[in-house]
Amino acid sequence: MSALLDVRNLRVTFGGTAAVRGASLTVEKGETHCLVGESGCGKSVTALALMGLLARGGKREADALSFAGQDIRNLGERDMSRLRGDRMAMIVQEPMTSLNPADTVGSQLTEVLRRHRGASRAQAVDRAAELLGRVGITAPGLRLGQYPHQLSGGLRQRVMIAMALMCDPELLIADEPTTALDVTVQAQILRLLAELQAEFGLGILLITHDLGVVARIADRVSVMYAGEVVESAPTAELFAAPQHPYTRGLLTCVPVPGKVKRGEPLGSIPGVVPRIPPGFVGCSFRDRCAYAHAACKHDIPRQHAGPDHEALCTLPPGWTDRAAA
Amino acid sequence: MSDIPAIEVRGLRRVFDVRQGLFAKPRQVVAVDDVSFSVPAGSVLGIVGESGCGKTTLARMILGLLPPSSGDVLIDGQRLGDLDRRARARLIQPVFQDPFSSLNPRRRVRDIVAMPLVAQGNIAGDEVKRRVGEALERVGLSAEQGSRYPSQLSGGQRQRVAIARALVLRPRIVVCDEPTSALDVSVQAQILNLLAELRKDLGLTYLFISHNLAVVEHVASEVAVMYLGRIVERNESEALFAHPQHPYTRALLDSVLTPEPGLGVPDVGLGDTMPDPANIPPGCRFHPRCPLAFERCSHETPKLTPNEAGFVECLLAEE
Ligand SMILES: Nc1ncnc2c1ncn2[C@@H]1O[C@H](COP(=O)(O)OP(=O)(O)OP(=O)(O)O)[C@@H](O)[C@H]1O
Ligand SMILES: Nc1ncnc2c1ncn2[C@@H]1O[C@H](COP(=O)(O)OP(=O)(O)OP(=O)(O)O)[C@@H](O)[C@H]1O
Ligand SMILES: [Mg+2]
Ligand SMILES: [Mg+2]
Repeated sequence: MSALLDVRNLRVTFGGTAAVRGASLTVEKGETHCLVGESGCGKSVTALALMGLLARGGKREADALSFAGQDIRNLGERDMSRLRGDRMAMIVQEPMTSLNPADTVGSQLTEVLRRHRGASRAQAVDRAAELLGRVGITAPGLRLGQYPHQLSGGLRQRVMIAMALMCDPELLIADEPTTALDVTVQAQILRLLAELQAEFGLGILLITHDLGVVARIADRVSVMYAGEVVESAPTAELFAAPQHPYTRGLLTCVPVPGKVKRGEPLGSIPGVVPRIPPGFVGCSFRDRCAYAHAACKHDIPRQHAGPDHEALCTLPPGWTDRAAA
Repeated sequence: MSDIPAIEVRGLRRVFDVRQGLFAKPRQVVAVDDVSFSVPAGSVLGIVGESGCGKTTLARMILGLLPPSSGDVLIDGQRLGDLDRRARARLIQPVFQDPFSSLNPRRRVRDIVAMPLVAQGNIAGDEVKRRVGEALERVGLSAEQGSRYPSQLSGGQRQRVAIARALVLRPRIVVCDEPTSALDVSVQAQILNLLAELRKDLGLTYLFISHNLAVVEHVASEVAVMYLGRIVERNESEALFAHPQHPYTRALLDSVLTPEPGLGVPDVGLGDTMPDPANIPPGCRFHPRCPLAFERCSHETPKLTPNEAGFVECLLAEE
């Protein structure tokens, strides 16, 4: 059986600049695949490209792009918008930009169900109230009548989550869905997503900076850097034996509660993401990499560190074990 | 350093009227309910708490962006209402959570950073230029990046712009509302290290709101925990993280997801019924969700019980 979502060698350009230069990933039914990486590396653009929601001027190419076995590369806008919000739903990174400030939360939530399912107003209101309850918003009556600016950041984010779930999607693409939430609400939302996976086999592509979330809920993790997926592995393997030096660096930057030393600087990866000029060859991390050598200026092999663990790096698979020894 | 606290708030309260329909009677949402604290100059007060508990509302009142329903805000010993807009801007500046929407997309970075200086109205053009250059350098942005538009920068760079704008007037106090939640961990570390460095070099005072408890533990000297509009526990950072006293604080700490695969997502037993700020429970406002609640909690309002450096508001602590 084919994967729920199958993306091969996705590329996105804006004018002359490449925002995504080669992203491949799959999401199986019932699977959680997390996408992590430096600010600006192309995670959101990847997600928007999959949904056919790129900003004007964005151009998408891919060797394969299929949803539930259907090639969606050449679907027209009408067919795409029929899928969107229904069988594949997305939670965008900035709730404020996708909620209509002039319309109440209630009418924006119910609109989704009425458009895709032809539900009556009363049915849609019931469903909206039910979902608001499930994402931990009490007094749905009060909240349904409010405008987005009257909600706190976390309430807005939960409204967006409820909206994405209105039609019981098969695939959920969630871009930083819990960043504005406190940790107890975050835990509640993550448990809700796990329930939906168990009940309906929901597949999730989750973009997040929070490696704690990744560790706890992902089945598989892909790491992006400068527009490319540079490493992909089952979660436990990625945390135990990261291959790519960027992944290693990222993991050492996480402040762990109870282990932080106040007054000391936090670890970070020196330098900034480079601008990748057209025609660039080799590893885009090499200028920041402590292990860079001559081979990094040429084509980089995609190496297998395990049956299901790939990294785009010249270093021999398993080098980290030796580096640690 | 003076003994006058950088920030002092007394009995601060803010109520919003929310209409449920054209003809329905408005309900009152109590977003901040009788909050008092002071922040000594040069220290960092971390504020954590449930989303919707009133942190941003509190920050906006301290910045003078939102009038309180009652209570006072004193900045450097002066009542906020007695300071004119320009004097206030020289004392206290914000860094907001959202680097995307808090920067004007139609202005170049250096003009955005110059705004607070220009708004002062009495600073010469080349002085403005010099100080903008200095602020950009301080936050690690190049002159070339100064001539870009916000959309041409990454999230981390945009957050640096927001920090440069907050610092350009050399304020004494910076209110940070989730300054790093949009950033990856490496850029987050760079920004936090920068904030710590600035505090050391310039003696800044921070009010630091964040959902990331490890980050708060790292930067804050004291921490206040908010629940449903009130501070329910306050203490030195170390003491609060080592032995949290309020059951809500404990629930928060127990919900933190450390990067350890295989442990799953904990359920700390708060239940799924979140509080309704338009309908605050009697007694202890946390009692309907508290795993340790007993009979008295439902009708008796807990008093403040002092701890190392602050207090906790819980009947169990009064015993
Ligand atoms: N509409 C656009 N026009 C031009 N460039 C764009 C546009 N949208 C995004 N980009 C660029 O594409 C690159 C990738 O951006 P993207 O938003 O995908 O980053 P991200 O990985 O989601 O970062 P973050 O973690 O900060 O959200 C960035 O360099 C960004 O400036
Ligand atoms: N302009 C407004 N009109 C009506 N209610 C409001 C308004 N602004 C805030 N509120 C309400 O006040 C309460 C506190 O909101 P606030 O934004 O201060 O929360 P917060 O602690 O910052 O939450 P978060 O962590 O989610 O950002 C919420 O119930 C919110 O809906
Ligand atoms: Mg993004
Ligand atoms: Mg807020």
